[in-house]
Amino acid sequence: MASVLTFFTEFPFELFVIQTLNGIVTGMILALIASGLTLIFGIMDVVNFAHGELFMLGAYMGVIVLSTTGSFWLALILATLIVALFGAAMQIVTLRPLVGRDPLTTILATFGVSLILQNYALWQFGPVARKINEPYTGHFNLFYLEYPWYRLVIAGLSAALIGGFWLFLKHGKFGIWIRATMQDRVMAQAMGIPVPLVHTAAFAIGAGMAAASGVLFGPLVGVNHTMGLDWVLKAFIVVVVGGMGNLGGSIAAAIFISLLESYAAIWVSPAQAVIVSFIVLIFTLLFRPTGLFVPTPK
Amino acid sequence: MSAQGTLQEKSEGPLIAVEDLHTYYGKSHILHGVSLTVGRGEVVGLLGRNGVGKSTTLKTIMGLIYPKQGRIMLEGKAVTSTPAHKLAKLGIAYVPEDRRIFRLLTVMENLRTGLDRPGVTDERKKELLDKVFSYFPVLGERRDQAGGTLSGGEQQMLAIARAMMLEPKIILLDEPTEGLMPRMVSQIRQIIDVLHSEGVAILLVEQNVPLTLEASQRVYIMEKGAIRHHAVSSELKIDDPVIKQYLGV
Repeated sequence: MASVLTFFTEFPFELFVIQTLNGIVTGMILALIASGLTLIFGIMDVVNFAHGELFMLGAYMGVIVLSTTGSFWLALILATLIVALFGAAMQIVTLRPLVGRDPLTTILATFGVSLILQNYALWQFGPVARKINEPYTGHFNLFYLEYPWYRLVIAGLSAALIGGFWLFLKHGKFGIWIRATMQDRVMAQAMGIPVPLVHTAAFAIGAGMAAASGVLFGPLVGVNHTMGLDWVLKAFIVVVVGGMGNLGGSIAAAIFISLLESYAAIWVSPAQAVIVSFIVLIFTLLFRPTGLFVPTPK
Repeated sequence: MSAQGTLQEKSEGPLIAVEDLHTYYGKSHILHGVSLTVGRGEVVGLLGRNGVGKSTTLKTIMGLIYPKQGRIMLEGKAVTSTPAHKLAKLGIAYVPEDRRIFRLLTVMENLRTGLDRPGVTDERKKELLDKVFSYFPVLGERRDQAGGTLSGGEQQMLAIARAMMLEPKIILLDEPTEGLMPRMVSQIRQIIDVLHSEGVAILLVEQNVPLTLEASQRVYIMEKGAIRHHAVSSELKIDDPVIKQYLGV
């Protein structure tokens, strides 16, 4: 009883609130990356190993546009559109010819693209990290911390992008095409839905979402050629824990895992806190292999 | 091929003409030279035991499997190895054996997969929807329900209604009455007549021989991946030796 009492009296309540906020911010960015990844997997069974590099490419495009125009928002929009177009081209050149082949071939193809993009970025931009200046530099007082407003803007914008994507899927004609193709590619085709075009467009949307998160997250970390690696690994964990190809599940899993990691960082170092996501992954694979947030396992 | 003289083909030729189709699944040779025709607005039955290649014939016509040999003509133009989504635009609709409803899409969204085509006005969309909801009132009542929650019979109706959204010239109908209650079977039977009266051609694959003979004008009987017999439906009796030989009824 006494130990329970000391737990509550010594519970770092302020840190807990701060970490909840941090967890939600990284969770929203992760959800944005993972939504694109799970969309691409759900619709064409392609595990896109180049997703982290699309995120990195988005951040670099942001750096370039920001340095020429000086506008963060223009950088966000242009980087998203450029990388979406790049994604469409990448899908047509590397993945469309592999439709119907062994899934392993698409893994090798996207892995190859990821290596090319990483080394291209290293060659083009060099090993020194670039900086994206945040559009808002204001802070507000949170207990003993000055918490940057920009972090909340990231969370809000990511949520808005995911929400917009959700509405698009739910109500647009193209959204119905995407969902129909996700469920039954062959029947979608028999209903006159141009499935190859839907695949390319879905890949472009996923790439654009990765790029947008790259620009949004750029100000918090440096932009360099390996920045995609950490994120794509986490995004893969999220996609598996959320149930492969399940969009709602991925979003829930992204926030869930980020919150757990943030809370773990209260007691252990942030580097060790990463272990939490692997523990969740292992338990999910052991006990709910179809995903933690899938209502009824099939 | 005694029925050839009584075909109701118009001067412009058949709607669909399939010639010497050879289709493989991997290495296994499924269709061994299937040839058949369907005239405009004609209901044609395709009978045969399980596994003789009836469904494969439909899938090949729909462009879901490409044949290794042979050709498919739609209104006199070769459409062999054309992707299914282009064939759907040219007027071929497909109702598969297992219905293949988009289970997570609502009834309305299932219908919209065929309705959201370029060139369909909002008025026309409404007309088409009103039409299927009058034939299948239950679909109207459940328009916001997920397709996967419908009963087997309702899913069959949805699969047919979804195909009708494409305003097709021909519907490839694969075992529409399989596993349905008698009341549902007669409803499917009626909708075949309605489609026929509207001038939609149907290539009907069925196990239900009496229903096929009643609903169709001509029948083909398949065995081992090829057409073995061709007859005018009204001339073929249910106790015909041919039926006994190929279908074992």
